[in-house]
Amino acid sequence: MSEAVTEPAEENAESMSTSKAGAAVASAAAAKTDDRLAHRGPFQRLLGQPEIGAVIGAVTVWAFFWAVTQKFGTVAGAQPVLDVAATLGIMSIAVAMLMIGGEFDLSSGAMTGTTGLLVIYLTLEVGELGGAGISYWWAVPLSLAFALALGWWNGFLVERTQLPSFIITLATFFALQGMKLGFAKLLVDNIQVGPLVQAKLDADGLPITEQVEACNPITGETEMVTQEVLRSDYSFFQGIFASEWSRNCHTLASRDFWYSSSILIGLSLMVLAAFVLNFRRRSGGSGGPGLVVFLGGLAAAVFGYWQLHNTDGIGANATWGGLLALGIAVGLYGFATWRFERNNDPGPLRFTSDVIKPGVLGVVAIVLGVVAARLLNSNVGTRLITLDNDSIQTVVAILTVVPAALLIAGALLRRASKGKTPVARLLLGSSLGIVVLAILAMLVTEQGLRATLFVGLISLGLIALSVAAFRAGFTSATARSAVLLLIAGLVTWLAYMVQVESTSVKFRAELFTVMLVGALVVAVWAVISRQFSIRQEFDAGSEQLGRSFGLIGVLLLFIGVVVRLLYVNENELAREIAPAKFSVRILWFIGFAALCTWILARTSFGSWTFAVGGNQAAARQVGVPAARTKTQLFMLVAGAAWLVGMLLAFRLNSLQASTGDGLEFEYIIAAVVGGNLLTGGYGSALGAAIGALIMAMARQGIPFALWNTDWRFLFLGVILLLAAIGNRFIKDRADNLRSE
Amino acid sequence: MESEQGRTLLEINGISKYYGSIIALKDISTKVYAGTVTCVLGDNGAGKSTFIKILAGVHQHDDGAVLVEGEPVSFGSPREALDVGIATVYQDLAMVPLMSVWRNFWLGSEPTKFGLGPLKVIDTAKAKQIAVEELGKMGIAIRDPEQPVGTLSGGERQSVAIARAAYFGAKVLILDEPTSALGVKQSGVVLRYIVEARKRGLGVIFITHNPNHAWPVGDRFMILNRGRSLGDYAKEEITLSELTQLMAGGAELEQLQHELASAMDD
Amino acid sequence: MKNLRSLLALLFALTLVAAACSNSNEGDEGANDDDSTSESDESESDDEEDAMEDDEEDAMEDDEEDAMEDEGDDEEAVDLTQGGDLTFHMITHSDDGPFWSVVKRGAEDAAAAVGVNLVWNPSNNTPEQQVTDIEAAIAADSDGIAASLASPDAVGPALEAAAAAGIPVYTLNSGVNQYKDLGAVTHIGQTEFVAGQGAGERFNDLGATTVLCAFQEQSNVGLEERCAGLEDTFGGTVITEFAGADADQTAQQATLNSLLTANDDIDGILGTGPVVAVSALNASQDLGKSDMIIGGFDITPDIIDAIEAGDIAFTVDQQQYLQGYLPVILMFLQATNQNTAGGGLPVLTGPGFVTPDNAAEVKELVSAGTR
Repeated sequence: MSEAVTEPAEENAESMSTSKAGAAVASAAAAKTDDRLAHRGPFQRLLGQPEIGAVIGAVTVWAFFWAVTQKFGTVAGAQPVLDVAATLGIMSIAVAMLMIGGEFDLSSGAMTGTTGLLVIYLTLEVGELGGAGISYWWAVPLSLAFALALGWWNGFLVERTQLPSFIITLATFFALQGMKLGFAKLLVDNIQVGPLVQAKLDADGLPITEQVEACNPITGETEMVTQEVLRSDYSFFQGIFASEWSRNCHTLASRDFWYSSSILIGLSLMVLAAFVLNFRRRSGGSGGPGLVVFLGGLAAAVFGYWQLHNTDGIGANATWGGLLALGIAVGLYGFATWRFERNNDPGPLRFTSDVIKPGVLGVVAIVLGVVAARLLNSNVGTRLITLDNDSIQTVVAILTVVPAALLIAGALLRRASKGKTPVARLLLGSSLGIVVLAILAMLVTEQGLRATLFVGLISLGLIALSVAAFRAGFTSATARSAVLLLIAGLVTWLAYMVQVESTSVKFRAELFTVMLVGALVVAVWAVISRQFSIRQEFDAGSEQLGRSFGLIGVLLLFIGVVVRLLYVNENELAREIAPAKFSVRILWFIGFAALCTWILARTSFGSWTFAVGGNQAAARQVGVPAARTKTQLFMLVAGAAWLVGMLLAFRLNSLQASTGDGLEFEYIIAAVVGGNLLTGGYGSALGAAIGALIMAMARQGIPFALWNTDWRFLFLGVILLLAAIGNRFIKDRADNLRSE
Repeated sequence: MESEQGRTLLEINGISKYYGSIIALKDISTKVYAGTVTCVLGDNGAGKSTFIKILAGVHQHDDGAVLVEGEPVSFGSPREALDVGIATVYQDLAMVPLMSVWRNFWLGSEPTKFGLGPLKVIDTAKAKQIAVEELGKMGIAIRDPEQPVGTLSGGERQSVAIARAAYFGAKVLILDEPTSALGVKQSGVVLRYIVEARKRGLGVIFITHNPNHAWPVGDRFMILNRGRSLGDYAKEEITLSELTQLMAGGAELEQLQHELASAMDD
Repeated sequence: MKNLRSLLALLFALTLVAAACSNSNEGDEGANDDDSTSESDESESDDEEDAMEDDEEDAMEDDEEDAMEDEGDDEEAVDLTQGGDLTFHMITHSDDGPFWSVVKRGAEDAAAAVGVNLVWNPSNNTPEQQVTDIEAAIAADSDGIAASLASPDAVGPALEAAAAAGIPVYTLNSGVNQYKDLGAVTHIGQTEFVAGQGAGERFNDLGATTVLCAFQEQSNVGLEERCAGLEDTFGGTVITEFAGADADQTAQQATLNSLLTANDDIDGILGTGPVVAVSALNASQDLGKSDMIIGGFDITPDIIDAIEAGDIAFTVDQQQYLQGYLPVILMFLQATNQNTAGGGLPVLTGPGFVTPDNAAEVKELVSAGTR
């Protein structure tokens, strides 16, 4: 298709340029015709980001567990996920930085326990076994110094011996593991060390207590409690490392208003950003009428939203929701008229077989998905197969069916990948995914099978239709617009199907709304992308504006979610919703992710990190201090391990001697799931953070789904494989899109 | 940046290099002038790489003298050679493929705004702008400096390295076999950049085993054979066929010559 | 010069690896200790540098020292009572850690009480050492051998030979499935299944309806047996779930939190280890489920404090003091009175329970070294 169209043209252009004589003259021609420097659209550049696969994965995993469990999508689910993601994430970010720099640190897990234990040993009373009895003011920084020295030692050894860091840090890991256990037995004669010294003591050595007013984290009511008076050094570090935000103690009456308006404005800004990044700015003429339409639409939307917020009842919801949607659609069209250049040649409405094939496939898949959902029982928890001693046949069947399915799928995949298009591979890959997931789901419940088939077939259908839309774009803007409208229509139909079929409020209200909003956006896009012309050249102004819009949009979405998580309103309190506590460690996690992202993107050290991992010889040659950079990366990992050690010690107060042992592989896995390359030179800190979130969700989702935990690693294996393949696929696609 | 045309930048006076009893280089002399291209030709094992390594500061010469702008020098490390303005662009080691064009361009000498220790903040706007401008001077128009270098062609990567060397104050540019791994078309691109560098007043030392690549761009030609110089000629003193003869055997290059003639009439 | 330094660094690193490897290997065995807290190494050697040197050699030296010390101690006890001419051997895979030091204390107390000689042969999880010690005991014409069978295939034949030579043989701690075939009189220990059964009855008494059996290590037969025993006697529903490893307490607590959120019916939790029981307590408190009935296994300072405060209902204790004390008494009675205990069944030392009623006393006994 496109290959056939574009490649010969490029060939011609290039041979023309080379045949043109004169270096100076040729430069301009070469610039215009060199295929390597073609314009990359905003979506293409987005796909080129290392963390994009992880973002898609995170949304998918979340949506999956949101759909198959009762409470995963609520605050009760967010708390354990964030709790686990925070410590895992801090480490995986640091490990990812080191991986980008081309090295591994297998001692990172054991180091988290080591630093925490060190603080406990240093602060235990002198009288107690092994205690040094020093204040936390000294113990905490000393522990950091010890961690940094360990990191330096790792880096120093790797640089000096030129041995793989795998071996060096494995040695450090074993040494630390041995030392943790050895010292624990030696000093406190137990494998549990602690608790930390916390309370102020009176003359007799007894804890001083006091009566204070405190909020009960369960009921949210203020009451008098008796508690020990904490030592000032302990309470300082406990405060910065382990204080908690009890949700039930923070009431915000207008919470839902703030929540829904920031989500709505955030989403609108993101759509606007997509517009600004994709369309060509108008070169002349007045956009006056467009501006008026834009403002009018905006006013209608605000009014609709206001009414929606202040009224109850389904009828009113439909009316005002409709006005809101209409206002947004009209407003966006007005914005486009105001800002963008009209497309004077939208082309004919004609479909090639390239478009028709995936289009039909997409519609069929979606219809099949709906049929499957209607046929299967939606009763929660009907087990299709029970694995007990009597069902040996079942086990045998599974043992034969799964490999057989994998073999067949693999063979098909191989055959298909000999063909020309990566698109065919994508479609085949997702079908394979559905088959495997359906088999897995069958092991659990009929409901699981139903959900898997429905979600899988719908996703397959939507992907196929997107492909059709993409290809239709080569024929004409009109054809693409038609396919997009078909998608919008199908999604609307699906939304109503879901609403009719489902018994759960979660689906009837939330999913319904999300799908309608999605359909609206696609429909608006369909119309506007036909009427206005798409930008093919670099435009710094539009890039800047679009990026700012996108960033503010994402920020607003984030703020909306945060408000929803942190505050409770009277309704919820009255329903005695489960109390949730958010630890300050989540702030550390976000802060560390931001810091490392900034370091990688904006500092020389970031550049050097990529360079030493990507091509160390080249880096050295141009004067990058490679050895120093790597040593500093090892020290960064050690510093992160110290931070996690503090978070653990001040939360748990006493630690196991085995704390952290063996977790280094989880850090590496999270980094890889987040799009970091094992071979170094490529990746992102943000990706690693999201990878940790995916791991935490996968892990906490299973107990929420009440699945048998024996299968946990199977699930993790599937996720890891899908993440790795997905990342690879997206990266390849982003790199190769030019040749498609 | 502009050097006065024809000034002697580098003078090599009878240098020799021995590895134990093996004579790697014997009594080599040549001069590199600003705004000229000096081609060093030789087949494999002729001593080309020893010659480069002495100039790049990797090895030290045993006899003779190397003078940079009249001052005798002997480099202890590649950094010292860089500091007096001799930049070497090796064939493969020039770039980090997964990094963006502008980061590669600035790697190791990032322009920073403020910051402490290793955490110096890069002035990204300035860095990107200068990278785009400098590459433009070499004839590559980059609109999106965030593009990974790996997506550039081999010739373009070479030219990014050349542009980088030129920008960071190189007076003498040593190019080690820049065309040997490239196709005909891409070689043409690199040769254009060599001419471009010459125009900007750099003294270029172009090492190659292909006289058909050397001939269109070279001003002087030195032929090495088994560690000895077979002569140091100005362009008007020698013809392409003589050059090829000196290199011993060049019949199969006829076709290449034909193709180059159309790409390279300068 | 440079080379020499990197060589030295390399050597040092290798030493570290070697030291660490031998540590971890030893830690792996001894799964039959029936005690997740008792693992491994580092016996009496106070010097940290020892850890850097060859551990194995070190451990052997320690053992010999121990044995000699013990013999010395017992010589004093010889003339005090009538049993003075009897010598019993206790040959175990002990590492003399917190768990085994209590067993040793029990054996020594029993030997002192009835006035016999006791030879305490720990092997730090080295079956070959155990075999050598048994052969030595046979050669010394021992009056009774009590051995732990953590590695039945390796140690069994030697024990069988001892029984064949007419020496009364007992097994302790591990070996409940093999003692009969070897010709041992009886086995003194606790089985995991019975311990789980005991916990199940506790939950019945405390009025739980749905109990979560949360274990901390996947594919550990001992832990699974504990949950199976619970399921056997408990009247309500048992949900058995993996709660995450002890090495990652954050995740363990979060998983328990998720499990409790997802399943509102759960009103009791049995943690198959002390750490997971404390995590269960934290998770329940975070969710405001203060009525949760929580049981655990084994004794740590944390769990004893929580029991004392009434937050945790009980912990199962296998009373390893008895595993040292009883064999000596039984061997003494067989030698002097021709009694054979057990009647073909093992003698169970547990489950004993630590509850709020006796927590304070147990706490003192723990520091005294007999619990």
